[in-house]
Amino acid sequence: MNRKNFITKSGIALGGGILAPYILPSGRLFAKTGSLKADHVVLVMFAGGVRQQESVLGRYLEDSQGVSGAAGNIMPNLFEGNSPTKKIAYGTSVVGKPNGSEPIPKLLTNSMERSGLLFPEMRAQSAGHYVGLSTLLTGNAGTNQGLKVRPAYPTIFEYLRKHAGYKATDTWFIGNGIGNSTPLLNSSNHKDYGLAYGGNMFAAPVTFSNSGKEILGNAKTYSRSDLEPMYFMKNFLDQSFALTKDQISSVSNTDEEKSQIKDFIKSVFSKQQSGQLAMPPVTDNGDALNVMYAAEVLREFKPKMLAVNISGVDSCHSNFTGYLQNLHRADHITGWLWQYIQNNIPQMSGNTIFIVAPECGRNLTPNPILDQNDWVAYDHSDANALRVWGLMAGKGVPSLRVGGESQPVGRLTDIVPTIADVFGILDDVKSAGLIDPLAQSLYNRI
Amino acid sequence: MNMHNFKLPFILLIIFTLGGCTKERNIGFGVDEAHVMEDKSRKTKKKNDAEFVSILYTNLYQTAISPNQLYKTQNVVYSIGDQDVANEMLLSNYFNTSGLTIPTNIEMRKDIESFIVSTFKRFYLRYPSEGEKAFFTQYLKTNPNVTVEMVYTAFACSEEYQYY
Repeated sequence: MNRKNFITKSGIALGGGILAPYILPSGRLFAKTGSLKADHVVLVMFAGGVRQQESVLGRYLEDSQGVSGAAGNIMPNLFEGNSPTKKIAYGTSVVGKPNGSEPIPKLLTNSMERSGLLFPEMRAQSAGHYVGLSTLLTGNAGTNQGLKVRPAYPTIFEYLRKHAGYKATDTWFIGNGIGNSTPLLNSSNHKDYGLAYGGNMFAAPVTFSNSGKEILGNAKTYSRSDLEPMYFMKNFLDQSFALTKDQISSVSNTDEEKSQIKDFIKSVFSKQQSGQLAMPPVTDNGDALNVMYAAEVLREFKPKMLAVNISGVDSCHSNFTGYLQNLHRADHITGWLWQYIQNNIPQMSGNTIFIVAPECGRNLTPNPILDQNDWVAYDHSDANALRVWGLMAGKGVPSLRVGGESQPVGRLTDIVPTIADVFGILDDVKSAGLIDPLAQSLYNRI
Repeated sequence: MNMHNFKLPFILLIIFTLGGCTKERNIGFGVDEAHVMEDKSRKTKKKNDAEFVSILYTNLYQTAISPNQLYKTQNVVYSIGDQDVANEMLLSNYFNTSGLTIPTNIEMRKDIESFIVSTFKRFYLRYPSEGEKAFFTQYLKTNPNVTVEMVYTAFACSEEYQYY
C-alpha cells in the first residue's frame, strides 16, 4: 500500500469510527431537526367514548334526555361556553345538597379551545375502544386489529425511536389498567419496528396499587457497584443464549434507563407514603389517579412523547349521570395536567404541544337502561359514534377553529402524522407506508 | 378313566413346561449411564408471566407460591412495559425477605465450581458448558465482592431463564 492509499483508507476508517455511533436505527446519520415544532408532545386519549352532544357541542341534557333549557358546557377547561344552569348533576357532592350539584371550579384561565386549535368535527375510523386507541397511536384504521394482541401497525413511539433516534425513556404510554389490550399499546408487533423500538409503559393504577407496593415496594436500592456485576454476568449469559429479533419480548432500555425506572417506581411508593404526590384538586376516580401518575412520569423523565389513556366516561353504557360526572372530571384532570406541565416542569413549559382526542364517540339514540335520575344511557356503535373532535394547544399552535358540525375536517388517523410533523419525521412516517393513506398532519388541515 | 390314561397328559405337561423355560439372558450394549439435562438450544417456549413468577418463587423459596400471591404478582409484573425492570424489582423484593433457600456467600466461595454447576442446574436445568464454567470461575475468583444474590439475579433475569 502506498502512502496516499494508506492516508485515504486511514481517513475513511477514522471517519467511520467517529460517525458510526451516531447513526440512527433508521440508518440516517442525524435526527431531522429542521422542522421541529416543539420538544415534547403529550397526548390525552380522552376518555372512553365521548358524545359530541355533551362535549364540544355543549348540549348537556337538552339533546340526550330532552330536557328543555338544559344545554351548557360541562368541560370548561377544554371548551368555551357557559355552564348549564338547570339540573346540575355532573359535579361533586356536598353534604345537604343533591348528588353532583357542585361543579368543579375551572382551572385554566383560558380554555384550550381559546388558546389552541380545535377541530370540532373529526371522523373516527371505528366506534370501538381498542381500535380507536390503537388508531390514535398508530395512525392506521386497523380494522383487522385483534384484541389482546399488540397493534398490527407501528405506534408513534416506534416511529419516534426508529426515525428520530429517541431513547426508550423518551417515549411513554400510561395505561389506565391491564384489561383488554391496554398494556400492549406501547408497541406494535410489526416486523420492521416492534418492541425493540417500543415505548415504556406503566398501567399505573396497577403498578402503583397496594399490590404493586407489596410486590415491588420493598425492592432493594442497589448501588452502581452492585448493579455492574449483575448486568455483566447477565449480559454474558444473554450473549450465550442470543435471542432472535422476533423473540424480543421487552422494551429496550439501557442499564442506566432501567435503573432510573426502578428508582422512579420506588420514589412513587415513597411519595405515596408521605402524601407528596401532586394530584388534581378532585381525585375521586381512577382516571384522576392515572393522570396523576402520568404527571410524575413527565416530571421525572421529561419525555419527548407521552400518551395517557383515560376511560371513565364509558360508564355511559348504563349510567348517564356517571358519564356526565366522569366527563366533567376528565376535563378537570386534563386541564390540571396541562397546567401542571406549565407550572412544575420548566424543561417542558412553553416547549410542549398538548393534544386531546377521544378514541370514539357514542350513539345518537339511547339504549333503554335508566340510571338513578331516570336518564337513558348510550352505547357506541352507530354513525354518531364516529363523530369526534381534536384539540391542540401549546408551543406555536395557532388559536383557530377548523371545520364545524356541517363541515367535518380531520380524521383520528391524523394524530400520528401530526405528532410526526411536530418532531420533523413526517416524511419518514409517510414513506413507511403503514398509516391510513387519507391521514394528514393536522397542521396541513388548517 | 383309568390311572394310566390320567398319568400320560400329566407327564407331557411337565415335560413341555420345563422344556419351554429358558434362562433370561442379561444383554448389555456398552452404553454408559448419562444424566439427561435440558439443552439451551431446545428452549424455544417462552414462559408466560404466571409460569415465570411461579417457577422463580419455587426456585428461591423451595415451596409453591399461593394462587392469590401469584395472581397479584403477575398483574403487577404485566403492568410494567420493561419486563426486565419488573422482574429485577420482583427478585430484589424477594431477596429482601426471609425464608429464601439459597447458599451463603461463604458456601459459594468455599467451592466455586460446585456452586456454578448447581446454579446452572437450578436455574437452567442444564450443566454449564466449559466456557461458561471457565467464565464464572474466573469472574467469581477475581471479584470477591460478588455475592450469591448478584449471581442469582443475573441468572433469574437472563433471557435463557425466560424460556423452557
